[in-house]
Order: sequence, then structure tokens, then C-alpha cells
Amino acid sequence: MTDLSYILETVLLLASPFVPVMIGYMLRKKFRVEAVPEGAAPAPRTGAQKLGRLAGNLLFWGGILGILFMVVVVLNFKGKI
Amino acid sequence: MKTLRPVFIFLALALAGGYAFALEPVPWNHKDYASEFKYFQEGAAFTADTWALVLPEEQEKALVEAKEPALERQEAIKAYYAAAMAKWNSPTLRDYTSKTKETDIKAVHLWLGKEKAAAFSRKLALTHSMLKKAKREGLGDEDALALEPHLKPEAIADLRSLKAADEALKKQASPEALKGPDSKSTAALDKFAGPDPSKLGADSFAKLYDNMSASGAEPVVAGRGQYAGGTAKAAAAAQLTAPPVKKPAFAMPEVKSAPVDRAAAAQQNKSTALTSDAYGVTVYTRGGQQPLTFRKGEEAVAAIRRLPDGSITRVVFYGHGGPGLQSVGPFDVDAESARDILKGKMAPGGVVQFAGCNTSSIGGATLNPAVGLSMVARRLMYFSIPYFQDRLNGTPADQAKQQWEKGWNADLARDASRNLPEAVVCGYRTFGLVPGRLPGVTAIMGNQEATTPGYVAGKKACFQNGREVPAR
Repeated sequence: MTDLSYILETVLLLASPFVPVMIGYMLRKKFRVEAVPEGAAPAPRTGAQKLGRLAGNLLFWGGILGILFMVVVVLNFKGKI
Repeated sequence: MKTLRPVFIFLALALAGGYAFALEPVPWNHKDYASEFKYFQEGAAFTADTWALVLPEEQEKALVEAKEPALERQEAIKAYYAAAMAKWNSPTLRDYTSKTKETDIKAVHLWLGKEKAAAFSRKLALTHSMLKKAKREGLGDEDALALEPHLKPEAIADLRSLKAADEALKKQASPEALKGPDSKSTAALDKFAGPDPSKLGADSFAKLYDNMSASGAEPVVAGRGQYAGGTAKAAAAAQLTAPPVKKPAFAMPEVKSAPVDRAAAAQQNKSTALTSDAYGVTVYTRGGQQPLTFRKGEEAVAAIRRLPDGSITRVVFYGHGGPGLQSVGPFDVDAESARDILKGKMAPGGVVQFAGCNTSSIGGATLNPAVGLSMVARRLMYFSIPYFQDRLNGTPADQAKQQWEKGWNADLARDASRNLPEAVVCGYRTFGLVPGRLPGVTAIMGNQEATTPGYVAGKKACFQNGREVPAR
């Protein structure tokens, strides 16, 4: 039981940096800027759409930076850098 | 909305898991943790009021950390009390009556209860008064009977003969007795038959012991006065004629650090490696123009030992850190060794800075994602990985859990602050990112072997007497 709870904890801990990336990815997908035919004017986006896209970008790229940060920390811990 | 459904499910699961792992606060003096709370009270680590302010997970950590030392302390107090209540012989009697302090009785009271403390206190009071009486007027049969439960028969006999021995000593000290027998051996000491002391090679003896070359023949300059000869009279005269030296109210010997040749230092710090090998100890002293810097920990320790008490205003231990430990290259500093190195040397309010990752505990909840990531990384690296490594090596789960739960969030800064009551001790709650250590950057800057960190991106925490204070 002790091992099981620690395995669960480790899985959650390892997954936690990916949560913002995942949410960011989904938000970016949901509020994707639609491609428009050449010459046509793009449909105006609402404030909520802009906000959703911005939040998605922040979470996605911030999450990736966080993961990179963790990689740096682990490499430093291992004495590689 | 459909695409976000898995995210909500995942978050709901994570929240449910978090709730399952949430902890209840432990009430002050809870009977299941009696020893731990006594340990806290004795060390003044917490009071009922401060305990109530501590987060449940911090409470649990403190209780886990205190468990082992509390049990050890309890056993030590039990052993002390057993020895104190056994029948004493004469040396033990002298020892207890001269060395026992109020705090010892308080410790017995705290750990073993009011009655035992009272019994110990009564025994001490009785033996103390009997010892005085034995010296003053001697002991009677009734006194001997009263002492019987507490002292061995030979100790009682010694006490009863104390007055007679005292009188004999006084007799010996009378002028007639001081004259002593007129024997050849004592008469030979009346005169010093050898040559002048300075011709006996006393200078070389002095040189051997303390590297001084004073022989006693030449005048020795001491301060502004001059000791002109070999007689005490001359010395007294010299003292009288010497102009008075004005001392400040708080005389503090000035510490003069060697002037730093910056070009030479830069050359010395130059390394060809792309990555950093920076570590060192920096000591700032009262009155010192430049900080003293050391690459080797042993050299720093030797220099600190030579400094006057209360002279260090700031000391920085820089290098890799981990929970409960700060490395300075191959030299390690923990809470105990910090006390050994710095005890008495810190100026009041002086700062001890452990400039290494995770040298303080993770602290409470945070909204800062970088701090959160650092917490996650710390838990994974200092608990999860070693725990599962131990399990794979066949260590029982409870043992591995106890071992690593205790260590992963150790707080070097807080523990060291308890050992250095006059100082403020700071550490980092997170991994610290030092820009000057980044590969390549360090080579460009030529500071691969720097002894001070410069800017550190990390969450700093400072403690005084085990309590958190604003960061310095």
C-alpha cells in the first residue's frame, strides 16, 4: 500500500509539468486562427477568443519552459552542467 | 468543450488525490507525540501559539524530524535521573553539588514529571546543606541517618571527617607549619645557582613554543609602554609612565585582510573548462576593508577560528547544496559543523548564507509556477528516486519511507539557526539558478572558479533561533 501510494504520487508529480502544456495545447486548438481563402478578410475575433488563445499560448510555452527548467535542474543535479 | 473534458477529469482526479493526501493539524501536546512536544518545549522550538500557526504538513515534518532525537533525549534524561538518585560516593557528591544547575532540574521536571524533579531537588538541597554543615560544625548521628538513603557509607564517613581534616589543614597553614622542615632538599631551592636565565637558551625555548625570540635580556616593546629590564619594579614603572591607550567602549580587534591583487586573482580563477567549478567561502568581518575569500573549506575554517569572537558580520558558503547539507567543493557543512565552525564568531545579527540549492525546506503553498516546479523536482529527486532505489535493493517499505521522508525536506538553514542563536541563517527553498554558472557564460566571464555566487535566482528564506525572519 505504501509503495502504491508513492507510485501514484510519483506519477502525479511527473505528470504535473505536462498539465499546463496539455491545457495550453487544447486551448490553442480550440481558439485556433482559421485559415481564410486568399483575398478574403479574416473573421473578426471576439475578446474571449483572443483571451483564450493568449492563455493557451502562455500555458503551452510556459509549460515547455518549465519542463526544460526541470531538465536543466536534473542535469545539474547529476553533475553534467 | 468536448475536447476539454479529459482535462477536467484529470484535474478532478488530481484534486481528489490531493484531498486524500491532505493532513489534519496535530493539537499541541497531543499524547501520541508526548516526547516530540517535550523536545520542542525544551529547545523552545515552538510554543502552543506558534505551533497553531504551523501548516499541517510542516507539523508532520517537524514531528518526524523530532522523533528520534526526542527519544534519545528521553533516554538520556532517564539515565541521568537514575544516576542522580543512586547513592553517591564522595566524588559524585562533589560533582552533583557543584555542577547541577536549575536547568537540569527543569529538564527532569519536563521529561519525567513533577514528583521526580521534586525528589531530585530535595536530595540536592539536603546534600548541599549537609556539606556546608560538615565543613562548619561537623555532622552528627542524626545527619548521617538523614543522608543514608542518598550517600554511600564511605561518602558519609568522608563528610563526618571533613571538619577534622579542615582543622588539620588550617594548622598546616600556620606560620610555624609554613616554615617546614629545615632539610637539605628545601634549602637547596633558596638560591638559583645557575647562570643568568637569559644565557640558558631561553630564547630558543620560546621560539620552539610560540615562535617568539624574546630572551628577557633586551627590552621588549609591549604596546606603547616599554618593559626595560628583568624586574617587576621596572615593569610597573614602565606601565605607569606609558601614555594611556584609549579604547573604544566596545573594543573589537580590527581584522585586516590581505589586499587583493585583482589581476592575479583573475588569473588564478581562470579555468579552461566550459562549465563552472565555482565554490568557496566568503567572510565579511567587522572593520575589514575587503572580504576574506577561500576556495578550500578547511582553510576558511582555520581562518575563522583565528578571528576574534563576534567579529563576523556575514559569511557565505557557496557551492552545491541539498536538503540538510551545503557543499563547498569537497568540503561539507551541515547544521552541526556550522555550529562547530562559527560558534561565538558571529556578530549579533550577523548573517550566515548557505548559497546552495535546497538548503532550506520547501515552505508553504505557492502560486509561483517556478517554485512549484522546484518543489516537484525536489520531491522526485530526494524522495521518490531514492525511495524506489531502496525498495529495489530490498529495503522494507517502512524503513525506506522513514529514511527519505525525514531527509528530503530537511532545513539546513533553520537547524543551523538553532545552533547559532546570535546569527540569522539563510538558505534557499528552491533550486537556485546562478547565471554565472551557465555553461559557456562562465567561460566567457572567466569565473569558473568564483568563490561567491553573485545573483542567484531562487527563493530565499532566513531564520533566527529556528523562526523565520525576513530575508537578508
